[in-house]
Amino acid sequence: MDEREEFYLRYYVGHNGEYGHEFLEFEFRPDGKMRYANNSNYKKGRMIRKEVFVTPAVVGDLKRIIKESDIMNLDDSNWPEPDRIGRQELEIVMGEDHISFTASKIGKLQDVENSEDPAGLRMFYYLVQDLKCLVFSVIGLHFKIKPI
Amino acid sequence: MSDREMEDDDEHDRANRRGRGQKDAAMDTERYQGQGGVFDRLGDKESGTGPAKSVEGYVIFITNVHEEAAEEDIYDVFAEYGDIKNVHLNLDRRTGLVKGYCLIEYEGYKEAQQAIEKMNGADFHGKNLAVSWAFSKGPVLGRAATRRRTAASR
Repeated sequence: MDEREEFYLRYYVGHNGEYGHEFLEFEFRPDGKMRYANNSNYKKGRMIRKEVFVTPAVVGDLKRIIKESDIMNLDDSNWPEPDRIGRQELEIVMGEDHISFTASKIGKLQDVENSEDPAGLRMFYYLVQDLKCLVFSVIGLHFKIKPI
Repeated sequence: MSDREMEDDDEHDRANRRGRGQKDAAMDTERYQGQGGVFDRLGDKESGTGPAKSVEGYVIFITNVHEEAAEEDIYDVFAEYGDIKNVHLNLDRRTGLVKGYCLIEYEGYKEAQQAIEKMNGADFHGKNLAVSWAFSKGPVLGRAATRRRTAASR
């Protein structure tokens, strides 16, 4: 794995509703800084904002997961567009490639199967789950919080 | 390709760009107005590249873990170096098999360091583990980080 290749990752999921703008967002910067934000206004919860530097080992495995997912070869042109129910954004810079995909929220796998690009959307759906899983472990262990 | 297009390409770090979303490689500051722009971190005054302490201990990061490894196997091997406070052996959400990485938390620095020294490169279910710290006190300064910073300040 080339540690020197350019890298950036950001994922956002959110919506505007009864409780204002509620969202989850995280990013990994090229210098290893990882940021996590969770804004839930339900019961006047305040925004959780955490940041920590992760080692190249963590970034290296994150890159492996991205490469194995094949997301860098996909396109979002046939994915359901963000709507009132919600919005997802996934932006990744890796080497010479820079993707920035958007989609509506995907509540269940059935939404994927019924879409115009089930194969691509399924890859996106599972990658997002795997990314959240890694991020929740990293943030949860470092700060001793339950991220969800 | 015209000169104009060549210039545009250069502007974008010659990246192959795809997708409907913003391509700023940054969070949208609109979402983080005022105090929203402040992110909590541990060990505020620390810097450098040494391992960073987590709230309750030190976390190590293991990669190249066999997809059929069980949490007990990990536990058995790594408990040799000290009391394990937490293990996260996450699964691939599609296949249900081990995703390939594992986080382990020890209470003390020494135990974590021992585990890294002894287990990095060790054979585990026929694959060589890579074991290192999970968190760092400060940024990693490499070529990519420098390039990206320069690009952002243009």
